[in-house]
Amino acid sequence: MPLADVSETYADLVTAVFSSTIAAKAWLATAAIVLAFVQVTTAARMWGRLRFLPMRGPIVARVHRWSGRIAFLCTLPVFFHCVTILGFRTPDTRVAVHSLVGTFFYGVFAAKVLIVRDRLLPGWALPVAGATLASTLGLLWLTSSLWYFTNVRFGF
Amino acid sequence: MRRGWRPILVGGAVVAGTFALAQAQIFEPSVPAAGTVSGGDVYVGETVFERECASCHGTGGVGGSPGPRLVDSGLDTREITATIEQGAGVMPPGLVTGKDEADVVAYVVKIASP
Repeated sequence: MPLADVSETYADLVTAVFSSTIAAKAWLATAAIVLAFVQVTTAARMWGRLRFLPMRGPIVARVHRWSGRIAFLCTLPVFFHCVTILGFRTPDTRVAVHSLVGTFFYGVFAAKVLIVRDRLLPGWALPVAGATLASTLGLLWLTSSLWYFTNVRFGF
Repeated sequence: MRRGWRPILVGGAVVAGTFALAQAQIFEPSVPAAGTVSGGDVYVGETVFERECASCHGTGGVGGSPGPRLVDSGLDTREITATIEQGAGVMPPGLVTGKDEADVVAYVVKIASP
């Protein structure tokens, strides 16, 4: 399949659900940021914080894992559009910051996944990695979805 | 190598790979199917269109009030450029200019192709 057809097919698929590819990115990133919030709160619960949350033990861990998996899936179409179609751009500060932070996102994600699995690392490593990942996603959302909702339109 | 460096090294490699992929833009639509005859960028044009034109022409150019439907309209680059620059009906001239104009033209050419 020619490369140009891939982006056409992608656009056709996305616009079958959303009004535009940009709107799709904005909403998928919003879903990811909501799930990232779930990630942070369940992680805090697992680390003995936020004791007022009713969930405990294995349920918290399960919610944490699945919210992370779904959040990751939500970011994949956004990654495809931003990285393989739009590329690294610096026309203004917002886009430059978004491009730079976006370049680091999956690197931080990969490091966090490895840190989760490495029980010999110091105890602070995982919270720092998780907070960095959530902050990175938050900054990406602020410089894309929030901008879209406030400057372009708020709708699907 | 100390164990603690592994996440940093792998993360760094992923960052480098992402940057290389972003520079390559392997799925960027190419001429002429995407309507880049005007030199504009379809995907950037989509954002500009949603911001500047969709309030009249509808989201995605499906038509609105008072803007006519642009999807499948068959308009070509010359007609679209002329309308943007000279205006038409209640549409004032020069709503978008420069790079924004080129990007919008590229986008409208794409959605206008039947």
